[in-house]
Amino acid sequence: MNFGPVQQSIAASLASWGVPHSGSELAALLILLLIPFGVAFSIAGVAQYFERKVSAVVSRRFGPSTAGGEGILRLVVNLAFFFLPAATRARLEKTVANLPGVKQILFVVSYLGLGQIVADGVKMFTKEDILPRDADRVLFRGATYILLLASFVALVAMPISQNFYLSDFSVAALYVSAVTGVGVVGLLMAGWGSNNKYSLLGGVRAVAQIVSYEIPIALTIAAVAMWSGTLSLHGMIAAQYHPGFLSFLGWNLFQSPFFLILSVVYYTAGLAECNRTPFDFSESEQELIGGVGTEYSGLRWGLIFIAEYTDMILVGGIFASLFLGGYQSPLGEQWIVALPPAWEALVHGAIFCVKFLASIGVMMWLRWTLPRFRIDQVMRLAWVRLIPLSLICLFLLAASMLWFGHDGQVAQVIHGRFVSSLVVRPEGWQTASVWGVTILVVAVLVVLAKKFGDPKPMPEDVRKALVGGEG
Amino acid sequence: MSHEILEQNDDLITINMGPHHPSTHGVLRLVIQTDGEMVKTCKPEIGYLHRSIEKIGENLEWYQFVPYTDRVDYVCSMNANLAYALGVEALLNTKPETAVEIPLRADCIRVLFAELNRISSHLVGVGAASMDMGAYTPFLHGITQREFINDIFEKTCGARLTYNYICIGGVMRDLHEGAEAEIRAFLDQLEPAMHSFNSLITTNTIFRGRYAGVAPVSREMAIAYGLVGPNLRASGVDWDLRRDRPYGLYPKLKFAVPVGGAYGGSKGVLGDCYDRYIVRLLEIVESIKICRQVLDMIPPPAEKADDPIGGYRVDVTKKLRTPPKGGLYTRVENPRGETGYYLVSDGTKMPYRLKIRTGSFTSLSLFETLVPGLMVADVVALIGSLDIVLPEVDR
Repeated sequence: MNFGPVQQSIAASLASWGVPHSGSELAALLILLLIPFGVAFSIAGVAQYFERKVSAVVSRRFGPSTAGGEGILRLVVNLAFFFLPAATRARLEKTVANLPGVKQILFVVSYLGLGQIVADGVKMFTKEDILPRDADRVLFRGATYILLLASFVALVAMPISQNFYLSDFSVAALYVSAVTGVGVVGLLMAGWGSNNKYSLLGGVRAVAQIVSYEIPIALTIAAVAMWSGTLSLHGMIAAQYHPGFLSFLGWNLFQSPFFLILSVVYYTAGLAECNRTPFDFSESEQELIGGVGTEYSGLRWGLIFIAEYTDMILVGGIFASLFLGGYQSPLGEQWIVALPPAWEALVHGAIFCVKFLASIGVMMWLRWTLPRFRIDQVMRLAWVRLIPLSLICLFLLAASMLWFGHDGQVAQVIHGRFVSSLVVRPEGWQTASVWGVTILVVAVLVVLAKKFGDPKPMPEDVRKALVGGEG
Repeated sequence: MSHEILEQNDDLITINMGPHHPSTHGVLRLVIQTDGEMVKTCKPEIGYLHRSIEKIGENLEWYQFVPYTDRVDYVCSMNANLAYALGVEALLNTKPETAVEIPLRADCIRVLFAELNRISSHLVGVGAASMDMGAYTPFLHGITQREFINDIFEKTCGARLTYNYICIGGVMRDLHEGAEAEIRAFLDQLEPAMHSFNSLITTNTIFRGRYAGVAPVSREMAIAYGLVGPNLRASGVDWDLRRDRPYGLYPKLKFAVPVGGAYGGSKGVLGDCYDRYIVRLLEIVESIKICRQVLDMIPPPAEKADDPIGGYRVDVTKKLRTPPKGGLYTRVENPRGETGYYLVSDGTKMPYRLKIRTGSFTSLSLFETLVPGLMVADVVALIGSLDIVLPEVDR
């Protein structure tokens, strides 16, 4: 394992304070682990706010705009001056509210609905943690920790920037998909331990779904690993570097048509991995009330919720690393690389954040637009559509690399002994021909599907009455 | 509790769906036994909302019962009012001394509001159906349109849910100032809004995959189980009381009666959930047409001088003290199908017997035969597509 320079410098300074060497490495790792925890917790709050706003935009309403500033003020005053008698606190609150400018600030706060985040947080922390009678104590409580742990330890491998990251190791992509798979155990524990039939059904559904969708994800990662010759996420991103001004041309998404298809496969499977609509089967409110989370309350429910949002961040981050050049800028990457390390880390970190936030935004957009599949349809989608599709793409990608590259080198690529700088890729007319053939095939398939797709379309007059003239 | 209802079977899980469940549309309790996701048996339990409205009706004077009809089906109170008012008027008309003639303006307002309420009820129905499938946004789009209808009703009659507006002998109040223009403006924006609603959810592939071919009710089965209204028409039975047993203003109006036709593509079956859903949406389109026609023929309000109550109501209080003896059954096409009032009079100011027949009650009888073999998620789809309103079942 190769830890980042930040951890090494922390370890070095700890060592200079007299901490023994073996302990200082561990302490530095623990300190660094606090960062993803903090980031994930705060992002979960922000993402929830974001989600409310997205849902409001999609359904054309105002969203959370009424969470009062007065309530926040009262809370802050009461918490900060808890030692004062209640009457004094009430008077103090009034005084503060009448200070010049405070009213305007409170108006803005409540107008934007920022109070909702605070209110939700307070609610979550203060609600009773109910343990249902006859529930399996250990499984019920342990499930939340496993869920949270599975999501958080995967964050360690996030390639935030070139010089600042938590850890870089050669099998990072494999590690992430392996570690997130552990979350399934948590869901099953929660489902069984709750002693609730809805929870049990939700847990079983979630396991069936997540285990199935891990296969297309693994196949996609295998394709990218084959292409860039490494399983390290940093290596994959480095392989997407393009020195020109239009640096997005180097991204995997634009390298091969098969990556375009695989990116859709990965995103769909990723949605299923983090239980988002249209794959929110572990919850499926309308059928199973709360699914695995039915019996959880208060902070314990909040932890499940945070784990879900962390999974979204993970899927977004991995998606960006595999296909969107990770932390690289779409334009003028060569200048950012040349910046001093601290600035480089800042700019790249910001770009990475934008990328995974955009991916989360699309997830939310889908969440508030699409209905949910049925469980058998979801399984069919995975086993009949996505897995064969990703297998075909993987095979054709390998074939195109074999066709255009030196076969000896490709053999080495497949055996994973290759370094990223020596990867053989089709260039110029070869790339064009791969794209051309694929687009042709897809076009033919689309035409055929249109011709023989639905033998019984909706009658024209009914369709017109429903969706108007142009449809 | 569940053990009393169903046989114990160790291979199956017994699940209580409801009465507290997000998508049983009220206090319906379904005791289902599932083998994993597949439902093997289903037993609906009703009665959680029973208020003995029929018995209350026997202890109230004829006109005092109108507000109770609101509570029978609160999603379409106007239609419920209309059904009762037409029933009592038909009873009065059996003897020439007590016969009432409703002013044309009152008839127009009745049909106009009944159709507007049909639109709002179907909006709730299709919106809730899509929400049951996990899509929350279409529900809000439907509710937004319903709010406009509620606003119009509120301006005229003062209430937003239980209107108590259509009364025996006419309507409670005249239309408010500028109501016609408001309703026209609403209808004009409703059409494009419904188009966007349908392109958002109705034509969605996932949604169609969830609804098409699920829980089909054949023509024979629909008739045998006494299904009514959109649920009956979705099974291909072309039967609409507004056209086939017309009442009020309906003989003068032109409108089509949409029936099911396996609209769900290659998987669609006649009378499946998707057909029931589509029939409701097509009925909204027809109701818009009806509203436009009524708005064109509505007479202006009468001058105060020649009509003391403005041409929207006739006074029936004296006639209601001594109504004709006898019983009769009146039925009306409501959003949830045929609503019938069986009224028996012994010539006094109170009904001797009052019996209500509603559409949701018969729809619910389908569950025991239709649900076994479906998946848990399909049960929810079935409830949503039948558009059940529980107070109508229990009364």
